[in-house]
Amino acid sequence: MMFGRVAFMELRTGWKGLLIFGLLVVVISAGIPLIFPTYRNSLIEELEGASKVHLELPNEQGDMIILSWETVEPATSYMVLEDNRPSMVTPNIRYLGNETSIAFEKDFEEKRYYAVMAVLDQTSDPVLIGIAATEKGVDPFQELLKNPAYAGLTGGRNFSMLEVKGFVALEYYSWSWMLTGLFIAYLSVSLIASDFENKRMDVMFSAPISRRRYILEKFTAMNLIALFIVLVQIAGLIWGLASINALNEFSANAVLLSLIGSLPFLMVIAAVGITTAVLFQKVRTGMGITFAFVFAEFFLYTFGGFSKSLEWMKTISIFKYWDYFSVIIDDLFKVGDFLILTVMAIVLVITVIRVFQKKDIPT
Amino acid sequence: MEQEKVIEITNLTKMYGNHVGVKDLSLTVDKGEIMGFLGPNGAGKTTTIRSCLALLTKTAGEITIFGLDSHRDSVTIRKRTGYLPGDFGLIPSVKVRSYLKYLLSLHGSSSTKKMGSLAERLQLDLDRKTNELSKGNKLKVGIVQSLMTDEDLIIMDEPSGLDPLMQQEFYRILRQEQKQGKTIFMSSHNLAEVESICNRVAIIRKGQLIVVENIEVLQKKTGKVLEVEFNDPFKIDEFTFKGVSNIRQDNGRLILTIHENLDNVIKALSNHQILNMNLKTYSLEQLFLKYYAEGEVGEGGDA
Ligand SMILES: Nc1ncnc2c1ncn2[C@@H]1O[C@H](COP(=O)(O)OP(=O)(O)OP(=O)(O)O)[C@@H](O)[C@H]1O
Ligand SMILES: [Mg+2]
Repeated sequence: MMFGRVAFMELRTGWKGLLIFGLLVVVISAGIPLIFPTYRNSLIEELEGASKVHLELPNEQGDMIILSWETVEPATSYMVLEDNRPSMVTPNIRYLGNETSIAFEKDFEEKRYYAVMAVLDQTSDPVLIGIAATEKGVDPFQELLKNPAYAGLTGGRNFSMLEVKGFVALEYYSWSWMLTGLFIAYLSVSLIASDFENKRMDVMFSAPISRRRYILEKFTAMNLIALFIVLVQIAGLIWGLASINALNEFSANAVLLSLIGSLPFLMVIAAVGITTAVLFQKVRTGMGITFAFVFAEFFLYTFGGFSKSLEWMKTISIFKYWDYFSVIIDDLFKVGDFLILTVMAIVLVITVIRVFQKKDIPT
Repeated sequence: MEQEKVIEITNLTKMYGNHVGVKDLSLTVDKGEIMGFLGPNGAGKTTTIRSCLALLTKTAGEITIFGLDSHRDSVTIRKRTGYLPGDFGLIPSVKVRSYLKYLLSLHGSSSTKKMGSLAERLQLDLDRKTNELSKGNKLKVGIVQSLMTDEDLIIMDEPSGLDPLMQQEFYRILRQEQKQGKTIFMSSHNLAEVESICNRVAIIRKGQLIVVENIEVLQKKTGKVLEVEFNDPFKIDEFTFKGVSNIRQDNGRLILTIHENLDNVIKALSNHQILNMNLKTYSLEQLFLKYYAEGEVGEGGDA
């Protein structure tokens, strides 16, 4: 009565679904880095119509800035607005006239934006030709990252979306938990709740299998599945990074460690899924509750970043203990966090075994 | 000689919330016998059986199987017990063969010999997918599953639902199992079935045990109902013998209940021209009426 038969049966009957999901994960994991070069280029020319407006910066403070733009045929005159925000909420009028090129002194330090508008006639509003800024190629996401919601996610770390690390961290890691976490939630619930719903428990427990062994086998199956998904993610991401020659910036080792860190995170979700399945014995109920758990944990984590007084929310969120930014940006794998979640998953599983042993199996 | 007891249920009570499943039920099943467990829908048969297998917790009482505590030593007990649930599902999308092999492996066995021969006798195609089976074929899988591991005790919750030919083959299989020393405990709500296969029967109703009886005694008590249609006149007196009761005439037909001395009745019948004849087993309801009428039990159940 070797341990693992039940777990093996789950893998055997579920391999098709697992394979399809695995393929999806590979495509997404490998695909995200592939987008990066295009993204980066578009970011450098980030401002609207920047190609139509040309801004030439002086080498030294106090020299002249030259701003020129393309001629617009129906224009009667042009107007240049100046502001230190691209949104031009409180602009100054820098120029009004018929020229298509102006020069003015750089007598300021901060970044300024120039919106060039074409005035068509007296009755209609001016039309935007383009916007230029005094600091080319500056990452507008830098500002976004200062937003508390993001600062909470990144732990206030400073990094650039112009680097592959920053891009992949924000565009892949920050939501891939939804893909893997919810898949694990779904599977862990249905692995047990469907045995209840499809009345397979009577036959299962007429074999000399204890309730403890049953739960442990299912948990083992979930851990193997989680490992499989994480390995697929790692392989996909490394593949993607290698295809854009970015592995020198974002090493395979960092990919590996940052994603291995999600294993105990997934284990906890699996344990919660198993718990709800045992308690409610219905796929739908269990899944609803487990999904709600994952999202609640996520919101605890983001809200916890809003202020110092809400910091405690982070501490009780499982998201705090999978700090991929730490590996990606700081090169630091937090073993303590890894162990905290592992222990939490094990404690949950032991508890649910105790509960299951005292419960009736419904007909 | 004291019979070796395989199942010993003492004062079992199982409540579902404040709903009674079974109440204060005591019952023993001896080694080597086929014990029938008879009762109408909702009587508590499944509740009793699933309590024995520790699928249900007990509210009160004791169950020992092979002298072991049904709940504490459940895993050990299940190593020696085969079980056919009243209602069960299969793992979908696998071949019956691999499903059964999987269950064998859970029992720590890899010998498929008995599985093969049972499937052959019941005409179960092992190469079909589990989700393509008809109801009867699914039941066959359940039967094979409960017998293939060759356990000492076989517990079956309503193993009826096969076609009559298959049902006969199934009974033959059970009798052979019994010859090999197996103990069989099976529930049913069909008196005829229990009469044809069981040595003893326990009758349960509304969660309470009504009576445990040897089949011969039960048969004698209940008798069989004979209905005869004649082509010529007859008199009720002709059929009044010891062991015959409830004689009456109904629409020109003779109806009587035979407990013993069937021979006398047959001889009396041979003096007549007979158009049609029908010998029926008591229905479960009539059986209950009988036991209630005899005042063997009080009305039970605050269910
Ligand atoms: N899970 C449950 N919750 C509440 N009541 C239940 C539950 N299971 C069974 N019962 C009740 O317990 C009583 C005994 O049911 P049980 O299933 O043991 O009957 P049974 O003899 O097997 O009937 P059947 O011949 O229909 O299978 C019934 O009144 C039933 O309604
Ligand atoms: Mg039943």
